[in-house]
Amino acid sequence: MTWAGGPDVGDGLVLAGVRVVELAGDPAGEMVGKLLAEMGADVVKVEPPEGSATRRIGPFAGYGVDGDHSLTFWYYNTNKRSAVVDYRTLDGQATLQGLLEDADVLITTLRPPELRALAIDFDELRAVSERLIVLSITPFGLDGPWADWLSSDLVGLALGSPLNSCGYDDHSIPPIRPGGDQGYQSAASFALIGLLLALVERQHTGRGQLVDVGMHDCLAVNAELANPYWFYPKVVVQRQTCRHAQPTPTQPAIFQCADGRWVYFVIFVAEQKAWRSLLEWIDSKGLAVDLTGEEYDDPAYRQAHFDHIQEIVEVFFMLQTADEAYHEGQARGLAIGPITSPDELLEDEHLAARDFFVAVEHDDVPPALYPGVPFRFSAHGVASLRRAPKLGEHTTEILDCIPLAAPAGSAASTGGGAR
Amino acid sequence: MRNLSDTVASRSPGRPRRGPLAGVRVADFCWMGVGSVATRLLADFGAEVIKIEDRVRIDTPRRLPIYKGEPARNFGEEAIDADPNRGGLFNNYCRNKLGVTINMRTPRGRDLAERLIAECSVVSENFAPGVMERWGLTYERLEQLSPGVIYARMSGYGHSGPHAEYRSYGPVVQAMSGLSYISGLPGREPSGWGLSYMDNQAAYYNSAALLLALFRRNLTGQGTEIDVSAIEAGVNLVGPVLLDVTVNGRSTHRPDYPTGNRLEWPNAAPHGVYPARGDDRWVAIAVFDDAQWSALVDALGRPEWARDTRFATQDSRFAHQDALDVHVAAWTRDRDRYAVMELLQQSGVPAGVVQNAEDLNERDPQVAHRGVFFELDHPVIGPAKFEGTPVQLSDTTADNWRSAPLLGEDNAYVFKQIVGFSDDEYGDLEAEGVI
Repeated sequence: MTWAGGPDVGDGLVLAGVRVVELAGDPAGEMVGKLLAEMGADVVKVEPPEGSATRRIGPFAGYGVDGDHSLTFWYYNTNKRSAVVDYRTLDGQATLQGLLEDADVLITTLRPPELRALAIDFDELRAVSERLIVLSITPFGLDGPWADWLSSDLVGLALGSPLNSCGYDDHSIPPIRPGGDQGYQSAASFALIGLLLALVERQHTGRGQLVDVGMHDCLAVNAELANPYWFYPKVVVQRQTCRHAQPTPTQPAIFQCADGRWVYFVIFVAEQKAWRSLLEWIDSKGLAVDLTGEEYDDPAYRQAHFDHIQEIVEVFFMLQTADEAYHEGQARGLAIGPITSPDELLEDEHLAARDFFVAVEHDDVPPALYPGVPFRFSAHGVASLRRAPKLGEHTTEILDCIPLAAPAGSAASTGGGAR
Repeated sequence: MRNLSDTVASRSPGRPRRGPLAGVRVADFCWMGVGSVATRLLADFGAEVIKIEDRVRIDTPRRLPIYKGEPARNFGEEAIDADPNRGGLFNNYCRNKLGVTINMRTPRGRDLAERLIAECSVVSENFAPGVMERWGLTYERLEQLSPGVIYARMSGYGHSGPHAEYRSYGPVVQAMSGLSYISGLPGREPSGWGLSYMDNQAAYYNSAALLLALFRRNLTGQGTEIDVSAIEAGVNLVGPVLLDVTVNGRSTHRPDYPTGNRLEWPNAAPHGVYPARGDDRWVAIAVFDDAQWSALVDALGRPEWARDTRFATQDSRFAHQDALDVHVAAWTRDRDRYAVMELLQQSGVPAGVVQNAEDLNERDPQVAHRGVFFELDHPVIGPAKFEGTPVQLSDTTADNWRSAPLLGEDNAYVFKQIVGFSDDEYGDLEAEGVI
């Protein structure tokens, strides 16, 4: 039995032929489904009659408020199909079982208390098909003392520790959450990796397995230097404005330019080559003042007079635009980049030359640019991006093609969809 | 002195590896953060990852001054002539890999690299664009050396486009991809990131790309060149605000953006990071609906202020967050951060201590239960903790068999057993400074 309406197995996409049922209500699960779908998997998003919770999160296209116009939903659900199945009812669970018989992967974000309430047991689900891989993504994983606790992107980033490294020099200001949904995104990245490991393992064994990913575990290893600084010299790093949290304070690393924009740039006073490049650059604008003095050849002297250097560099950047500083600094071999806004990304000539942003067609708004697929394979095709599905848009075509495990006609009671 | 004999015996290369990637051999030219973390995943799950290093240009994580038993130094403050085998960050990034040295500046070194590549089915690198080409190691050449090869190329800007040769590292990628701009309080400079988030995330995207390519090759026998740009991965992580710009034409250049710890969507309130007892101690609280709000009010002992009509509905609470936050902070300020979290979580309110690495490692019962961190011995560093790959598979476990290689530790094994040099030839490689 094959599902109808899905992508062609032979279309050259990396995951062509892989069938995924997604029971996800947060960006962590939905992001994994999105990446799989963009790599060619057939991802069926199973939604309750009221739709995925993410359909109710703004912003909304045109500032409407209905579930088919949530830009949060649009962002995280490209290239998927939607089927309405009320998995909270027995009939709905039977329908879900029917879908899973022929699926490779189930993605779920149901938390342990929700699984218990629905009497969903992963071992039972997996009994449907030996090949089924169940990917569970939850705030804390499926077991442990905090397994039943609630979380969110902010709470996850706090408990997992990345938040402790982010904020301002002024510690009367609390740590500040980085934008986007980076707690969920961290879980999504590891969940994708875990799932791909299980898919490769299944190529050897023919058997699926349970992949249990907790957002808290993922964030606990996603603070870069914070853990190594604790593992080794046993020190806790301190947050600083828009630069690495460190054991002790360091000089600012963002500079405001003539056009009001900021550039990120670290003055590596200890590195001779980087120092000389910077000095030549400042001197070429006639702003080097006393920095050309011989004493500044000595890294120790530079370190001792860092405040003075910092002041001169601040003035230097204030007298040019961020783009001028960016391109000339890079031409001189220095790692420098403007703090770029989403609006400005759309104007970036490099991203444009790589055709990164892709126009996606919609029914009731003009084509809109989305970020393209972040993996490029020379030998494998690239999926064209398709808009997120409307609620239940594919219910009929999907449910017509599964052998119903439930009594005949029971799927009709799920409501909300096209049946 | 510690007795090293047990450690040395268990470090012998050539032990059969276990896991889904057993049998995959990787010629790994990666260095720094992104590349090393990306190929660590392969090594964790059974691949024989052979890290190729340069004795002159020592890999940065070997030099960063993160040392056991020494006072902490900021990572820019490197020691002169530091022992490359003591670096803690390198140990963290390169566990489970083999380590060899090749002098790629010599013709014999480049020849040796080609002979090693011929014995591998994956090649990985994250140099500045052009370095591998200068050594003649194009995809076409690798395909000749090892038909069906997967060639993973990891860079900031990707391998095409006008800025392909620009330099970047985590914070520059975060700046260039929008992730720093969207992070901070309104009306002031961005707070951005206090870590190289994109070194990690780009690494994970590169690990995923490698696994995708391996999955496909197992089906079809076909290899591929992979081009993952860290900046493009970063833009991909910016999220729905991008569509607010492209669909609605609503600019992010406005005085009320970004929104600090508050959400623009959905209308969560209170939603913030509140002070707790002690120096720089904080707890995050996030209330998304009426049920969580009543749970919060109950947990706080039904204070009078909570009956203020401004706080009667979720929309109204969202509209009056300044006033609401003053009350919440007044309640948290003199309380223990863990006590606040436990009380609120037991009441059904999402809340979490802003934990640091010490809290995670020494106090967090969930991390301990899940076994997120593990320990391995190292001949120079001694026992050390590691960040595990946080995925729990029911039938597969990570094969954590060895801490990071010493510089050139596996030269003899790799060049004799795998590449096939005789003892004499191997002696020549050493004598002539090829390895």
